[in-house]
Amino acid sequence: MDLIDRYLHEVGRYLPRNKRADILAELRSSLVDTLEGRVQGEAGEEDIVALLKEYGPPRKVAASYSSIGQYLIGPELYPLFRMIAGIVIAAVLGAQVLAFAVAVWIGEQQINPWESLAGLVNSIPMTLGMLVIVFAILQRFDVRPELDNEPWDPRSLPVYTEVEKVDRGELVVGIVAATVILGLLTFFPDYIGTFFNLEDGFFANPVIPRYLGWISLSLIASIGLDIYMLWRGHWTIPTRLVQIAVNLFSLLVIALLLQGHNAWLAEQGVGGFLSTLELLGEDIMNNLPIISMQAFRMGLGIALVVISIETVVQIFRLVRSILRRNTTPGMLPA
Amino acid sequence: MNEQEFSELYSSLTQEMRRGILVLAALSQLNDKKYGYALISSLAERGLEIDQGTLYPLLRRLESQGLLESTWDVEGPRPRRYYVLSPDGVRMLEALRADWDGLIGVMQHLLDEHPAQEN
Repeated sequence: MDLIDRYLHEVGRYLPRNKRADILAELRSSLVDTLEGRVQGEAGEEDIVALLKEYGPPRKVAASYSSIGQYLIGPELYPLFRMIAGIVIAAVLGAQVLAFAVAVWIGEQQINPWESLAGLVNSIPMTLGMLVIVFAILQRFDVRPELDNEPWDPRSLPVYTEVEKVDRGELVVGIVAATVILGLLTFFPDYIGTFFNLEDGFFANPVIPRYLGWISLSLIASIGLDIYMLWRGHWTIPTRLVQIAVNLFSLLVIALLLQGHNAWLAEQGVGGFLSTLELLGEDIMNNLPIISMQAFRMGLGIALVVISIETVVQIFRLVRSILRRNTTPGMLPA
Repeated sequence: MNEQEFSELYSSLTQEMRRGILVLAALSQLNDKKYGYALISSLAERGLEIDQGTLYPLLRRLESQGLLESTWDVEGPRPRRYYVLSPDGVRMLEALRADWDGLIGVMQHLLDEHPAQEN
C-alpha cells in the first residue's frame, strides 16, 4: 500500500487545497476497490503498479479534476485576448513611431535610430507580457466575457472588399516617383544638391552620398512591394505587415539622413530653422549651402511625418483586418 | 494517410464519439445510489468500458451541476462515496433519453442510405 500512499500524496500536490482531502479519499477508496475486484487475497506490488499505470501519472489525474482547465488563457478568453492584444500593440507601436517622428522633427539633440528601433521591437514582448499577466489573473478567477450574449445581426457584417482593394493609381505614382529618385541616385550621385546659378555652379549635399546604399535599399524594397501589390490587387495581412516593415525601414533611413543634416548644420554653427530665416535677409549668396541644407532637412522632416502617419494608418488597417478575419473566417484569401 | 495515421485518427474520433454518450450512460445507471467502482463495473458488464480517470471527474462535474447528489458511507469495509440522481438529474435523464431515441432513428436512417461496404 506504500505505493498507493505515495501516488495519492503526489496527486494531492497538484489538487486545489479546498478539494484535496475529498478527492484523495474517493481516489483511495476506488483504487482499493479496483484492486480487490481484480486480485484474490493480498495485492502484490506488480498489481498495484499495473493499476496505477492505468490511472496515469499524478499530474494528469489531478488535471482531470480541474473544473476550469489548466489554461493560462482559456478558450473563452482567448478571442478577447487576441483582439485587445492587437489593439494595444498597434497603439503602443503607433505612439512610439509618432513620438520618434516628432522628436526628430523638433529636436536638435542626437537621436539614435538603432536604439529607437530596438525600443520599438522590445515594447512588443513587454506589452504582450503585461497583457498575458492581466488575462491570466482573469482566467484564474474564472471571469468570462459576455460578448457572445449580444444579439447579432448578419446585416451588421463589415463590408471588406472596398477597404482591402489597393489603389492602383497611387501605386503607379509611387513606383514612378521612387524609380526616378533611384535612377537619379544611381546614375548621378555627384549631382545631389542645389544649383546656385548657372555660372557659379553647384553645392553638393555632403550627407546624402554617405547613405546611398541605405536609401537605394529602402527605395527598392518600396518599389518591389508596390509592384507586387499592383499584381496582387488587394491587401492581405502578410502584405500589410511587409508594408509596415518597409515603412519602418524608410523611417530609419530618413532618421539617419536627418541626423547627418543636423550634425552638418551644427558644425556650421547653425541652429534651428528660424535662425536660417535671418540669414535670408543678409548675404544670401554666401549662405546658400546652409539654406540648401536646411531645405533638405525640412524635406526629410516632412517625409518623416508623412511616412509615420502612413505607417500608423497601415497598423490601424492591419488590426482591423485581423479583427474582421477573426469574426468572418474564410472571407479573406490568405 | 498511412495505417498509423489512420489508426491514430480513428482512436481520437472514436474517443470523441464515446465521450459524448458518457453523461447519458452514467446518469442511466444512477437511479439507485452507486459508488464509483460499482458504476464502472455495472457499465463494463453492459459492454461500456470507461476508465476511472474519466469517470470520477465526470461524476464530480455532474454533481456540481446539480444533476447528482453524493454522500459518504462510512459503514462498509472502507469509506465510499455514493452517487444518485438528484430530482433535476431525473428530469435531465428523461430529456436526454428523448434526444437519444430521436438521434438513434436519424443516425440509423442516415447510415442505411449508404450501407457499410465490404473491403
